Amino acid sequence: MWFFILAELLVFGVFFLAYAFARMRNVELFNASQLELDRLSGAINTVLLISSSYFVVRAVDHIRHGRSRACAHWLLAAMTLGGAFLVVKMAEFIAKTEAGISMSTNTFYMFYLGLGFFHFMHVVLGMVILGAVTLKAWKGGYSATDHVGVETGAAYWHMVDLVWIILFPLIYVLH
Amino acid sequence: MTNTATFQWLILLAMTAVAVGLSQATLPDNALLVPVLLTTLVKGRIVIDRFMALQGVIAPWRWVVLGWLALVVGLIGYTFHTTQI
Amino acid sequence: MKYKSQAVAKPYFIAAIGLFLGQISFGLIMGLQYVVGDFLFPAIPFNVARMVHTNLLIVWLLFGFMGAAYYLIPEESERELHSPKLALAMFWIFLVAGAATILGYLLVPYATLAELTGNNLLATMGREFLEQPLPTKVGIVIVALAMLYNLSMTVLKGRKTAINLVMLLGLWGLAIFFLFSFYNPANLVKDKFYWWWVVHLWVEGVWELIMGSMLAFVLVKVTGVDREVIEKWLYVIIAMALISGLIGMGHHYFWIGAPEYWQWWGSVFSALEPIPFFMMTVFAFNMVSRRRREHPNKAAVLWALGTGVMAFLGAGVWGFLHTLAPVNFYTHGSQITAAHGHMAFYGAYAMVVLTMISYTMPLMRGREANSPAAQLAEMWGFWLMTISMVLITLFLTAAGILQVWLQRMGASPMSFMAAQDQISLFYWMREITGLFFFLGLLLYIGSFFIKGKPATAKDPATARGLASATA
Repeated sequence: MWFFILAELLVFGVFFLAYAFARMRNVELFNASQLELDRLSGAINTVLLISSSYFVVRAVDHIRHGRSRACAHWLLAAMTLGGAFLVVKMAEFIAKTEAGISMSTNTFYMFYLGLGFFHFMHVVLGMVILGAVTLKAWKGGYSATDHVGVETGAAYWHMVDLVWIILFPLIYVLH
Repeated sequence: MTNTATFQWLILLAMTAVAVGLSQATLPDNALLVPVLLTTLVKGRIVIDRFMALQGVIAPWRWVVLGWLALVVGLIGYTFHTTQI
Repeated sequence: MKYKSQAVAKPYFIAAIGLFLGQISFGLIMGLQYVVGDFLFPAIPFNVARMVHTNLLIVWLLFGFMGAAYYLIPEESERELHSPKLALAMFWIFLVAGAATILGYLLVPYATLAELTGNNLLATMGREFLEQPLPTKVGIVIVALAMLYNLSMTVLKGRKTAINLVMLLGLWGLAIFFLFSFYNPANLVKDKFYWWWVVHLWVEGVWELIMGSMLAFVLVKVTGVDREVIEKWLYVIIAMALISGLIGMGHHYFWIGAPEYWQWWGSVFSALEPIPFFMMTVFAFNMVSRRRREHPNKAAVLWALGTGVMAFLGAGVWGFLHTLAPVNFYTHGSQITAAHGHMAFYGAYAMVVLTMISYTMPLMRGREANSPAAQLAEMWGFWLMTISMVLITLFLTAAGILQVWLQRMGASPMSFMAAQDQISLFYWMREITGLFFFLGLLLYIGSFFIKGKPATAKDPATARGLASATA
């Protein structure tokens, strides 16, 4: 799993730098387009993902003490926040689509929509992973001594969070 | 364990608030860049070392991930710095 | 050989090698036509020679994959093939259809062939690599479906392993994506767009699954390393191949009229495509150095290692050379592409099929390994072909760099033909190296006819050949 996480980080890293260097060549366009973004929903989503990551930490802590049910509860809470993230993000995408904006509008929107969608898919995948872990935890499939699955799922979810922690300031805030 | 995690979570939230707050204020670009990137760096480190629990891991994993964070944030800082008017 | 029905692989492999010989012969013909334009004209014009060269490649690799699947799946599933008769019938149908198609290319003008075979009913012909007449395309689908039915039934009733599931997934993908060859929109952009769904999603998608599975199978057998270790590697490799390969398709969408964002997506994802190939190299060497047994078939081990290295060089490194949009802007469709194509197809797919043949053929002929003399000849064949291919790639790369420089850069670029004249020296060098490749192939084929006592694990002659490869 760690290999995947590193590969994912590599892809996102390359895209972040591509954004940064593409911006160097077209600062005005990027700054102007950035102002059209909904910074508030970006901020809300940051809070959602960070909190969700924290809930996952709590879940891992519980399973370390062998408390399967509590672990599943915290995972469920984390997934709820993940779901909320997806809803907010969808609303953002729909608003942009209704404004007639697509990946072909300009380079900034190519990155905003492309990276946003790519990250979106990772949140979806992360939730599928967490879902599987939650189910197994609920059935008591993990114990204080054997819970590698929980830790692995958690690591993936933190990676999704980590990527967003950089994506948010990069695309929404910095100019 | 639980308490430190909660504390770290609150720090993350606070730093997000700081970054968003700064972006709302009308500041010269450099005054925005440095604090926002610094908070990003710190947030990233908390997630990597505490949440992913990589601190104390001897394998090269931790340094690879932290190095990734530093490199990406550093280069972002560089490109944004050079394009400021 | 554990199951009798595995023997159906044998005719498939023999046909594959025969067609390989044909492919190389036509390669030599068109290689000469590069510098002696009217060689064999009008009997075999360049475009026909090229079509035969590339179509034979695809068909012999398909024969190889099918043979490999018929051998590997019963063994992994631990039961006889669902229907060996069906497999054998499909072999003959495929062989006859393939031969008829090639003869059609050679004997009838292409336009007449199209008319004769009902291209006006459903126009699918005339596109690179998908030149096959409609009946051939339909035949390929039937053969593939019959094979999938046969293999899927075998796996369903038998043991499921990572190796046979990945193989099956790859073959299903191969069949499904081939269906796009029937979709031929009038809009040229759309045409090219979906054309890549066959071509790219084959060679940089599902074929990599087939390759990974074949390599893993042979490595399990010849190294005796734990299956769990090998399967873990296989999972990671195929996941990386799919992640990078699927979106990496964007590197074909740079200049064909597709949206501009593909330049970013194609560049970034295809830049990652070398990773799975690099992992295959590390995988092969790692497993061989951790081997728990000395397999007497040293030639098969050599092929497996060679595949790892050459696939990474040809597909990985040479692909990366021109995959980034700003570079590809200049190199698109130049001899750089030809260089990459040659080494990638040989290094990845030709060699993995030859690896499989090398491992299974002695078993199907009733011995664990060929005699030391036969293996030595096979290893010489390996080195001759592989080194020749490296040189062909280097000469074509040099030709490509010069071509791009003369024809596409500077204030007053040369015309295409004028630039071609300037690089003819490299074409001559390529052609001569091609003759050595041909020699290597003949030696390889000859090695099947060398008799002698089967080798044992400790044979010094073959062990030395392998040691020089792993050193």
